[in-house]
Amino acid sequence: MNTPLLEMQHIQKSFYGVKVLDDVSIDLAAGETLALLGENGAGKSTLIKILNGDYLRDDGEVLIDGKPVHFSEPRDAEAHGIRMIYQELHYAPELSVAENLLLGRLPRRPGALGWIVDWNLTRKQAQDALALLNVQIDPMTKMRDLSVVEREIIEIVKALSRHARIIVMDEPTAALTPPEVQQLFQIIRNLRERGVGIIYISHRLDEVFQIAQRVTVLRDGKHVGTRAIADVTHKALVHMMVGREIEERTQVRQELAAVQTGAPVLEVRNLSKRGAFEDISLKVAAGEIVGLFGLLGAGHNNLTQAIFGIERAERGTIYINGNAVEVRSPRDGKRAGIGFVPLDRKINGLVLGMSVRKNITLSNWRVLAPMGVFWHGQEMQHTRHWVDQLGIRMAGGIETHTRYLSGGNQQKVVLSRWLEANVRVLLLNEPTWGVDVGARSDIYDQLEALAAQGLAILMVSSDIDEVLTVSHRILTIYKGRLTGEFMQAQATQEKLLQAAAGGGA
Amino acid sequence: MNTMRVSGISEIMSLVIMLVIIIVFMGQASPVFMTTRNLENMLLDISTVGILAVFTTLLMIGGGLDLSIGATLALCGVVIGALQTTLGILPAAGLALVVGALVGLLNGFLVTYVGINPLITTLGMLSIARGLAFVFSDGLTIPVFDNDGTQQAAYDVFTQFGEGQVLGIATPVFVMLLLFGIGLLILQFTAYGRAMYAMGGNAQASHLAGLAVRRYRMIAYTLSGLSAGLTAVMLTSRLYAADPRAAMGIELTVITSVVLGGISLAGGKGTLIGTALGVLVLSTLLNGMKLLSTSTDAQNIAQGIVLLLAVGLDQLRTRNINWSKWLRGSRLLPGAATPSKASASSGSD
Repeated sequence: MNTPLLEMQHIQKSFYGVKVLDDVSIDLAAGETLALLGENGAGKSTLIKILNGDYLRDDGEVLIDGKPVHFSEPRDAEAHGIRMIYQELHYAPELSVAENLLLGRLPRRPGALGWIVDWNLTRKQAQDALALLNVQIDPMTKMRDLSVVEREIIEIVKALSRHARIIVMDEPTAALTPPEVQQLFQIIRNLRERGVGIIYISHRLDEVFQIAQRVTVLRDGKHVGTRAIADVTHKALVHMMVGREIEERTQVRQELAAVQTGAPVLEVRNLSKRGAFEDISLKVAAGEIVGLFGLLGAGHNNLTQAIFGIERAERGTIYINGNAVEVRSPRDGKRAGIGFVPLDRKINGLVLGMSVRKNITLSNWRVLAPMGVFWHGQEMQHTRHWVDQLGIRMAGGIETHTRYLSGGNQQKVVLSRWLEANVRVLLLNEPTWGVDVGARSDIYDQLEALAAQGLAILMVSSDIDEVLTVSHRILTIYKGRLTGEFMQAQATQEKLLQAAAGGGA
Repeated sequence: MNTMRVSGISEIMSLVIMLVIIIVFMGQASPVFMTTRNLENMLLDISTVGILAVFTTLLMIGGGLDLSIGATLALCGVVIGALQTTLGILPAAGLALVVGALVGLLNGFLVTYVGINPLITTLGMLSIARGLAFVFSDGLTIPVFDNDGTQQAAYDVFTQFGEGQVLGIATPVFVMLLLFGIGLLILQFTAYGRAMYAMGGNAQASHLAGLAVRRYRMIAYTLSGLSAGLTAVMLTSRLYAADPRAAMGIELTVITSVVLGGISLAGGKGTLIGTALGVLVLSTLLNGMKLLSTSTDAQNIAQGIVLLLAVGLDQLRTRNINWSKWLRGSRLLPGAATPSKASASSGSD
């Protein structure tokens, strides 16, 4: 066998003492597509960021063409022909395809100090670049007039025209329709013929089977295995990704199934918002945890945002304890007794430069600051109560700024804010995204305890393991519509994945 | 303890040291500087900037900015001057407060509900208010005193706002100290103060926590406008005149003081203690320069340098700069000579 194009060997990486990558190795040959699979928090993005020079590895080696390399910043990685294609593309929408492709190095006419762009040559160079991958797009089209997949393809062409040898694609199909996915795959195949190695990250297993030659699975920062795609089944891959012991799970399930659920606290009828979700009706009872499972961009995030009043639904009604409520802002949502744990706690959840205490009490000023003045003793007492009950751990006590807390503890702060505000409905968005394994099970325990106390919990997640572990009942959503409902006992990975991929229940 | 607090203390210490250095230097350089008379005058001079700085601090901690305070002050002064006989001097002074608050309210509305950037909003308002001040005064300084002798008692009261004393302290200075005290309490103990820190720290998260962010923001701008009205009353009373050119550029002095005192332009941090020290440092510096007969131009230049230094240092502190990388990036170090390959994501060379 020839020397692989890229080898990453025994990579280790820790953040604040938490190991996020533990002895992970991958390799990639020229002209090969390697799929990188794993749940959120499995370590895929950390690995990729190390490859791109965003993070420094703690230990291990990176070799290109068999030679060890060291990247301390993305520029170093670029110099070795490594290119990232992120979900969010960066381009100048008002400029043409050709200009975007050649941005910063547009050919100039001789003379005139090289100030005048040679448009004929620009067009020709762009056409040549597009032809390398057989792309049929007029280089003079404006970027904003292209479809999403076309923009992605331009990004790939650009990478190739700048001598990319390794291209990493992070969930490139998240926003694409099935025909567009095929269009993209054709380009990837062309790319492969030119000897480029591709690392392909996706949650969609079907795509992995279509496009990848080999697959590497990560779980909780560890390398679970690398298989040739021909030697592996759909089921085996899911098992590699999820891989929790069956006994543990069934035990949890029985406990959950035994929970008695009460009257519906949250009910949503025919909620619609064009382009986001259609005709959604659901109920969540007191004491119940309902998991809403969907793939990225399925509309579940918009749905919870609409219930909390962050964005407005166009049609439909929301009921709390049987009463229709008008929720036009998060403030209305809070008043109606709804709490919202956002997707990105650092941007949307916490005031990072404020203390744990002030963040926990942020939504309960009505009680803690009657007449607008805080009663310090009471505030301290309430804060300590939640810190103890949820086991929030921080180095410097409750006056520590939330910036310095770990992801799991930050999440607990957001959670306790809503408990402090005494809400009856809790909407959670990907509650354990970026939370390490230990704090994760803490949060699951907490959610179960809260449900047992009579809270109605609606949890949005694209982590199938999470949904199966904590939900009493699971709804699946695909392209803004509910596609299935499963009681805990009936739910399986396959059924959920199928329903969430639009295959029907 | 946590690092934020430590850095807060060291910031305050460095301001105190700066203040001591300026005082010692000025005391040496000018025989007049350390006289009671000069110090009293200086405090009176500071009062306008100080009062405006209290409200600017509240506003900026909440993530806002108001450049229109000086122009609003002039407009409110002109309102008093133009309407002193028609309305009577005291109602005119009351109206000045209302006008100030309304200008602030309009600023707040444009920023929060229309969504215009605060800098642009209040810059536009600065131009409008200053223009109106000239229109209502015909561009002339309006004398403010009882010229027909019919409102003697009312003018006596009005004069007290600028010239009188409370507990042996000049009224404007007293009001300034009182407002600093109240401001401290508000920031430390009230929901309003907490809201300013929360909004300035993360407006989006505050909104999602169910805070009435827009309302708090409107109030902060309204108070800022009101403070311009208040200082207009005291200044007009003290000077016996309303000048459409009054307080030209005072917003710069106020913002420089506040930023020097540790308030971040991004919002969410800082204290009124810092602001008080910032006001003292800058005002002492400018007052000393005045005594040394430096030109206003030199004072302007000094103020500009202080502003840029204060903001620059704040930036460097918050960014945790990696110096070697920064130097390489700006091509001051060898190894940066080779032009960087364009990053695939930004597409710029």
